[in-house]
Amino acid sequence: MSVPIFILKRILQALPLLFIISVMSFTMLKLAPIDPLAHLRANPSISLSAIKAEEERLGLNKPAPVQYAIWITNLLQGDMGISTSGASVFVLLMQRAGNTLKLSALSILFTWLIAIPAGVAAAVDRGKFVDKMFGILTSVGMSMPTFLFALLLLMFALATHLLPIGGLTSSNYFELDTIHQILDELKHLIIPVTVLTFVSLAGIQRQMRANLLDVLRAEYVRTARAKGLSEHTVIYHHALRNAINPLITLLGFEFSSLLSGAALTETVLAYPGLGRLTLEGVLTKDMNLVMASLMLGAVMLIIGNLLADVLLKFVDPRITLE
Amino acid sequence: MAPIVVLSFLLTSCGSDKSNTNTTTVSTATTSTTATTNQTIPSTTATDSNDQGAAKEATRTGVIPTPTVEAAMSHIAKTPQPRPFKLIRASASTADKVIPEVDHQPIAEFWQARGEPGEFGGTFTVGAFGQGPKTFNKWQAADVESDGICQLMYEDLLAPDPWTGQYYPKLAKSFSISADKKEITFVLRKGLKWSDGHPLTADDVVFTFDTIVRKGYGNSSYRDVLSVHGKFPDVIKIDDLTVKFRTTVPFAPILNGLRVAIAPKHILEKLTKKPVAEFGKFWDVNTDLSTLVVSGPFKVSRYLPAQRVELTRNPNYSMVDSLGRRLPYLNRFDVSIVPDQPTEILKFYGNETDFLDIRAVRGSDAATMKKRETEGGFKMYNLGPDDGTMFIMFNMNRRKNPKGKYYVDPIKQKWFESRSFRQAVSHAINRKQIISNVLRGVGLPLYTAESPASIYVDKNLGGYAQDLVLAADLLATDGFVKKGEWLYDKDGHQVEFTLNTNAGNTTRDAVCVMVVNELKKLGIKANYQPIDFNILIDKVETSLDWQAVVMGLTGDKLEPYNGANIWKSNGRLHMFNQRLPAPDGSIPVTDARDFEIFIDQCFDKGATTFDPAERRKLFDAYQEVAYDELPFIYLYSTLDITAMKNKVGNYMPTPLGIWYTPKGSLHNIEEIYIKKAVH
Repeated sequence: MSVPIFILKRILQALPLLFIISVMSFTMLKLAPIDPLAHLRANPSISLSAIKAEEERLGLNKPAPVQYAIWITNLLQGDMGISTSGASVFVLLMQRAGNTLKLSALSILFTWLIAIPAGVAAAVDRGKFVDKMFGILTSVGMSMPTFLFALLLLMFALATHLLPIGGLTSSNYFELDTIHQILDELKHLIIPVTVLTFVSLAGIQRQMRANLLDVLRAEYVRTARAKGLSEHTVIYHHALRNAINPLITLLGFEFSSLLSGAALTETVLAYPGLGRLTLEGVLTKDMNLVMASLMLGAVMLIIGNLLADVLLKFVDPRITLE
Repeated sequence: MAPIVVLSFLLTSCGSDKSNTNTTTVSTATTSTTATTNQTIPSTTATDSNDQGAAKEATRTGVIPTPTVEAAMSHIAKTPQPRPFKLIRASASTADKVIPEVDHQPIAEFWQARGEPGEFGGTFTVGAFGQGPKTFNKWQAADVESDGICQLMYEDLLAPDPWTGQYYPKLAKSFSISADKKEITFVLRKGLKWSDGHPLTADDVVFTFDTIVRKGYGNSSYRDVLSVHGKFPDVIKIDDLTVKFRTTVPFAPILNGLRVAIAPKHILEKLTKKPVAEFGKFWDVNTDLSTLVVSGPFKVSRYLPAQRVELTRNPNYSMVDSLGRRLPYLNRFDVSIVPDQPTEILKFYGNETDFLDIRAVRGSDAATMKKRETEGGFKMYNLGPDDGTMFIMFNMNRRKNPKGKYYVDPIKQKWFESRSFRQAVSHAINRKQIISNVLRGVGLPLYTAESPASIYVDKNLGGYAQDLVLAADLLATDGFVKKGEWLYDKDGHQVEFTLNTNAGNTTRDAVCVMVVNELKKLGIKANYQPIDFNILIDKVETSLDWQAVVMGLTGDKLEPYNGANIWKSNGRLHMFNQRLPAPDGSIPVTDARDFEIFIDQCFDKGATTFDPAERRKLFDAYQEVAYDELPFIYLYSTLDITAMKNKVGNYMPTPLGIWYTPKGSLHNIEEIYIKKAVH
């Protein structure tokens, strides 16, 4: 099957999947017994007519299936609706998407830049110091909750005054020139990127190490060595290329997390990203916002998987697309 | 929200309160006209030393002093009351200063601020935890964050004095109330200008009240506060600077209701020709901010979602300092948006913000923060008790739901109906212990419907210590018998009910556990079950399916009539006996108890009585009935504490001057400045 047809087929398969995801998310959100207007209701200075007007505006006085029908009709016309704050959901998502993209792209970049060489090194020097050191490091990374690590770094920032405490820009950001603006953002990105990198490092490093070890035990590697090829050629030319395949699938998943963000890290570090926006939306049952965010995540996951499959085909000609 | 809990643990070694999710804050309205005299304000009185202050507080409000109050009350705010505002008549004005008039032909009139002369320039940053503003449209704003920011941009005709609670003219030059109390006439200052240079006149005032408020554009609560028996006052323009408000009957809370930001007619008029929904979208957070037109000291110039709102100085602001220079001093006022309260404190410690408002300093954090004062270059200010109240209530609903079932099991109805039962519960609670254990001493025991912060609190209603013997006697008078470990009513049913509060609030959690333990001593079995805040509100206000609840509500330090929503039997928040609205929105009342009817009368009369002494009698009467009947069993009021960096000048916090920046104490923001020498 040629690549374009494969892609088309996968997209057609994705449509019913997306529909099911949307129905399920909508139902679950609706079932959650959260009253989006609870804060207005509990405020003695808000009158009943103001609450009624708010229900009317948000369409809360209509039955749930009708609300879903309105939502999906609007979505098909390219309108994601308005958030409970009255702002357009699309604009809200766009405001945050760039920030989350910066954070995730940098984290993924650093993770892979560190994890792949570290995994290779650990596999090659199996059982030696490098392997053990990364073993300990990744165990810590895997077992430590993200928010705890973020908190520890915040405490460090507070104690040393070296790094800013959360956020993405300093208060004088707009008085700076472009270079200093970039530096300012990078300074704010150090803590969140470190947290996310450290946490996701473990998985990929262990995966790389295990794959390479598997391959190194394969017969063709023994053959290559028996032929007298240099160890360098054996590992980097033959073994590594075969060991990388499963990681490409992983890369597809990483792609999907580009825009989903890391809600906990973003919240703890006051980072203006999509994850925090969605989390706040869930807590206040901001239907349009949360639905748009969930659908965005689903679409990204499907695209990520598709990209990974296509990429695999190019990396490994033995694979056929079926 | 595990991370947040852990963060507060790390920061404060546990315990917390006043989470914004719980005591929803009154943002739109406050205050009253006929206010009262100075000495009745419990917390404004300047005190000489800390412990003395606490002792005085105790004797004045009739509450038992808790041993640790003084420890946390390091600086009782004792800002001396300044002279009244002075009207400066100017013959000309520039962007920097005004030229005082000589020939009795003033073209503009300015209020002169009362603080020391400060330095111009600089950025002042406050933190605000939450999701950030939802709109920059003052008349639409219903949440505290949006409203707080909008309050920096717009001014009202009048404002309550932070020292006395009496009203003074703000945009107005003066106002007068007619002899029959039905007419209030405002005279505007001359030469007022909007930030775009357009004159601000009586037309704007008439437009604000007669179009925006009366027709319900934006948050229609403003209209409901001003309506007397469903009738909106007449708004009459006399001349370009004079406007008269006329009500059909005397209505004392009207001055409070008139605290509505004046809207720029030349901008908003075109919107009022469109459907109401269009108005809500105008000046939302995605708007082109250069189109904002304001009358207040600052104007939003940049909004970075989930990061920061930047406000810059309005050069047309109509106040001057004591040297005749135009205010505000600050170049910029930034609101840093953080997700939660612990991060806000961290940013303050990290010198990224300059001020922590009363929402940010929880009682339990106060002691820890106090230790960092010198190192952190800041000072903490105690502003006395908060206007909010914390209470336990029982569902006293005797009606059936639409399916014909009782909202409350008839067996339980009998207990909750019993006054002795409620009194027994009140006497069984150890408020003093709650305050020292849970609030770390930063609170006052509460027995009255008005918080001790209110200028209307009835000081004749004393507190009482926990008395389990008295409580048991009270139960016995109504036929309750303790058999073995548990209590049984006269029909032999075991007394057992569910106690709810909102989950995730460690303070309320701890309070509930203590209450359950005390009740157990009486043999009452309370099954404690924390539930989500939104679910709790749904139960209490809509499904009415609950038995006992611990929760809090904000009050009002100046105007008790603002509690009408809670106390009147047709109130939207008459929670202990909530009636549901009919399809037309009205709440029919057919089965009010005698005491509910009595309180209704107190509020109705209190609304139409202007005489301070008469009003006091009426509001005392309602508090006495509430004290006796205990539909709400009050537990405590927290203390309000703020923290300000030392580099900030002219900070004059007072217990009554709490409104800017969600519940901040920056009532004189126009003359707050950054001391450059120090920094």
